[in-house]
Amino acid sequence: MNVLKVSRWTIAAFVLPCLIFYAGLVFVPVLVSVYSSLLDWNGIGESRFVGIDNYIRLFTADPVFWPSVRRTLVLAVLSMGLQLPFALFVAILLNRFIRRPNFLVSSYFLPVILSVVIIGQLWKTIYNPTSLGGMLNQLLTAIGAGDLTRAWLTDPDVAIYAIYFVALWQYIGYHVLIQFTGIRNIPADIYEAARIDGAEGLKADRYITLPLIVPIFKISMVLAFIGSLQSFDLIMVMTGGGPAHATDVISTHMYNMSFLSMKYGYGSAIAVFLVGLCLVATLAINFLFGKLDKRYS
Amino acid sequence: MLLLLAVLLVTQLYPLLWLFAYSLKTNEEILSGSFFSLPSAAQWSNFADAIEAGNYFRYLGNSLLVTSLTMAGVILLSSLAAFAITRFRWKGGQLVMLVFLVGMMIPMQATLLPLMVVFKHAGILNTHLSLILPYIAFQMPISVFILSGFMRTIPHEIEESAVVDGAGVFRIFRSIILPISVPPLMTVCILTFINIWNEYILAATFVSAERLKTLPFGVYSFVSQYSANYGAIGAYLVLGAAPVILIYFLLAERITKGMVAGAVKG
Amino acid sequence: MRKSKWLGLAMAGIVAVGLTACGGGSGSGGEGGGQAAKGGAEPKQENITITFQNIYPDQTDPKYKMLRTIVDNYEKEHPNIKIELDSLNTDQQKLKLKTQAASKEVPDITVVNPAAQMQPFVDAKLFAPLNDMVEQNGLKDTFQEGILDYYTFDGNLYALPDGNNIALVYYNKKLFEQAGVEVPTTFEEMIEVVKKLKDAGIQPMAIGEKDTWTGSFLFMNILLRTNGGPGFLQDVLDGKKTFEDPAFIEAVDAFQNLIQAGAFQEGATSFDYNAGENLFKTGQAAMYFMGSWATGGIETSSANENGNVGVFKFPTVNGKGDVNEFMLAPGSAFAISADSKHLEETKDFLNYYMLNYPKEAFKLKGAVGLAQKVEGDFRAAGYSDMAMEVLAMFEDVKGGDLAFDNTMNPGTAQAHLSSIQNLFVQKTDASAVAKEHQTAYEQNK
Repeated sequence: MNVLKVSRWTIAAFVLPCLIFYAGLVFVPVLVSVYSSLLDWNGIGESRFVGIDNYIRLFTADPVFWPSVRRTLVLAVLSMGLQLPFALFVAILLNRFIRRPNFLVSSYFLPVILSVVIIGQLWKTIYNPTSLGGMLNQLLTAIGAGDLTRAWLTDPDVAIYAIYFVALWQYIGYHVLIQFTGIRNIPADIYEAARIDGAEGLKADRYITLPLIVPIFKISMVLAFIGSLQSFDLIMVMTGGGPAHATDVISTHMYNMSFLSMKYGYGSAIAVFLVGLCLVATLAINFLFGKLDKRYS
Repeated sequence: MLLLLAVLLVTQLYPLLWLFAYSLKTNEEILSGSFFSLPSAAQWSNFADAIEAGNYFRYLGNSLLVTSLTMAGVILLSSLAAFAITRFRWKGGQLVMLVFLVGMMIPMQATLLPLMVVFKHAGILNTHLSLILPYIAFQMPISVFILSGFMRTIPHEIEESAVVDGAGVFRIFRSIILPISVPPLMTVCILTFINIWNEYILAATFVSAERLKTLPFGVYSFVSQYSANYGAIGAYLVLGAAPVILIYFLLAERITKGMVAGAVKG
Repeated sequence: MRKSKWLGLAMAGIVAVGLTACGGGSGSGGEGGGQAAKGGAEPKQENITITFQNIYPDQTDPKYKMLRTIVDNYEKEHPNIKIELDSLNTDQQKLKLKTQAASKEVPDITVVNPAAQMQPFVDAKLFAPLNDMVEQNGLKDTFQEGILDYYTFDGNLYALPDGNNIALVYYNKKLFEQAGVEVPTTFEEMIEVVKKLKDAGIQPMAIGEKDTWTGSFLFMNILLRTNGGPGFLQDVLDGKKTFEDPAFIEAVDAFQNLIQAGAFQEGATSFDYNAGENLFKTGQAAMYFMGSWATGGIETSSANENGNVGVFKFPTVNGKGDVNEFMLAPGSAFAISADSKHLEETKDFLNYYMLNYPKEAFKLKGAVGLAQKVEGDFRAAGYSDMAMEVLAMFEDVKGGDLAFDNTMNPGTAQAHLSSIQNLFVQKTDASAVAKEHQTAYEQNK
């Protein structure tokens, strides 16, 4: 139970500056977007109130929308289902087998802090078709898997997976860092006690590391989810959503509609959908971890 | 097992090495497109070109200014809020927290146009303030999230004894809570830094005067426009990334501690 | 959006309160913010700042130098006026202007594209008419016949273009020789040329199709031929034709023949404009279809050493069309904000700018494809053979069509661009493409 009993004014002094700031610059624009999403408006000229027409069209008649939602969610699922466990595995290995892991951890983190422009350019050259010296294709040919070579970023069936891969690769170090430090912070005497009880090595990890890492894993999870929904720059740099919408996600579709097709009202409807999705996801993650917490404590 | 770690090291370090090699090559070497090649003679002139043509130092100065003010604002406001949410005895704490959680995932691009309208009426378009304010606002949720995760774990005995000694809330906050919260504050700093340092959409939209523009804007337009000299583009990218890398390695040790300082015990 | 005003004010208030509050809280954040705000100082009464948004941030582009030179000269002659340049690349500028337009915060001078692309801005009354300004001292007569029509709405001229270009094919003579091919005179020959180049291990054509308008520009040239002349899109707009017209279907088929013959580099849809053009500039591709604005860059590229690059007109398709009808590309143009605080001064500056532009451009060898008449002997000034060939081509122009997005509204244009981009990655039945266009057109009417 919190001990500090303070007056309303004190609470206000602490919370309001932050809250007002945040509400004014993040929430109010979202409300404005909600309003815009009810308009037929090109963003410049006269607007016309059309009620929920934009949403009806979005949900029922937009051939690009649902696929882009699916791609966004697939990225989120891959990120949480593959990237995070992998990062946890790496973190456990680092902790168990490397005497001075800090250099490795820092190095793994590097791609996170590089500008997306750099990452995008690099991977574009790696994914280049064979005729232009793409490294991946050269590599595949060299190991005798020549028939696997393809135009990674322009084949509509594989382009999005090529992008998923880059997105997952870039942020591995981020999650390794988080979870590695999480493991480090588990008090040594717990492991000591476990060792006396006969739990060593991976067994200790199973019974101690995993349960104790849950709160950290939640942070990772939330960050991974945010990252997935906001993946915008990388796609813009690498494919621009093409070829023919094959790599569009929610945010790129929103951008195309709002600013290229000049249907700002419609774009706002997509933005509102995205915000709604975030809301549901946040609640879901909290709910999930609420249950996990109970199970382990 | 170790092999896995080694492979990962190579793949994660590769982009930086690639970029560095790239920045020292001639156009011909770059276009020949071989992957592991080193430049035959280092073209340091690429860096001179990039610095001169790309307004590097001015943009860098602006970026440092904007980023440091943003960090200061984020730390101040979010630590106040996190303190109130986790340490005060009141009912609204959970609700406020939820409000922040929800906003954590709102994409900045979605607010571009409404913000433009606001800033126009506030008369702060084309000033650094028009970048700093939204940057602070958008970093707020994650910061409050991390800070309150930590503060929740500080034992209550600490304030109890402080209250007995007659310390007011502001003093408890400043002299007791803030000093122990340094690790998560470092984390907040670095997260803010990483997110802000590479931001260019707002930077390109809200600021028009060349003397006020920031580095990511420079990087972005340099890359897409300075078409004749690839090496210089590479050099500019290296220059753009250098401050982040530097700061990261300077702070790395502390960051890693702060990231999870609270959450584990909680 | 009438509500936005009070909403904005309310929010501004909230922000202000927030700032004061955080300043009172204790610290550096608030104070620092205040300092930064002072950075954008208000001009004094007699000192005037004119914001000039432009799309020339590249220092290697001759246009960058022209712009700086003229601005410097003007500032010297008018010490009380400061021209503040906001140089953005094209994508950034489009996004920024649209955002600014939504809040009626258009810079004093900005850049727009002709016809349909600037229509929404004109409809929203964001630009000031320039009729008086071009007539006061004969600026109007420096422009080529008819070019200003693309920027005129209801008798009012709203923008002044700096370029006027046509589409043509650049080719690499050495690579043509290596494959033993000649300049094609029909589209069918062109496809043969593509195949022979391919057999000789040479990349036939380069394109930067990530930007989507590039492929559309080429496709529209084919349509200009199969339609037997200009005006197809106008006919659609007038309700005289639909996209399911045989001329359109024929154009789609011809375009797909070119793609299926392997004309374009692998992975073309991930190449942006610069990356695509660079393939040609560095001698890695034999042909390049582009607007004549590319001439300057190609001239100085390694592909053009010893005058190695030639040009030819886009050939006839199935014997249809006239090679002297071109895809016309009236350039991006400068418009003045109707809300400009210094309307007169801004007009005066733009007038000065456009009057001096041809001279400066000529000096810097950037005078190919200008919207204005240029006096001077190009040959004597040292323009290359290729530039001379392009200039000669301008003489032959007998009309043509504008790009798709300059004719149709943005919604239809985006659908078209993505539909054409799709042809690069999968063969599609031409009638399905036509139907896709027609549907998009009707939805966006």
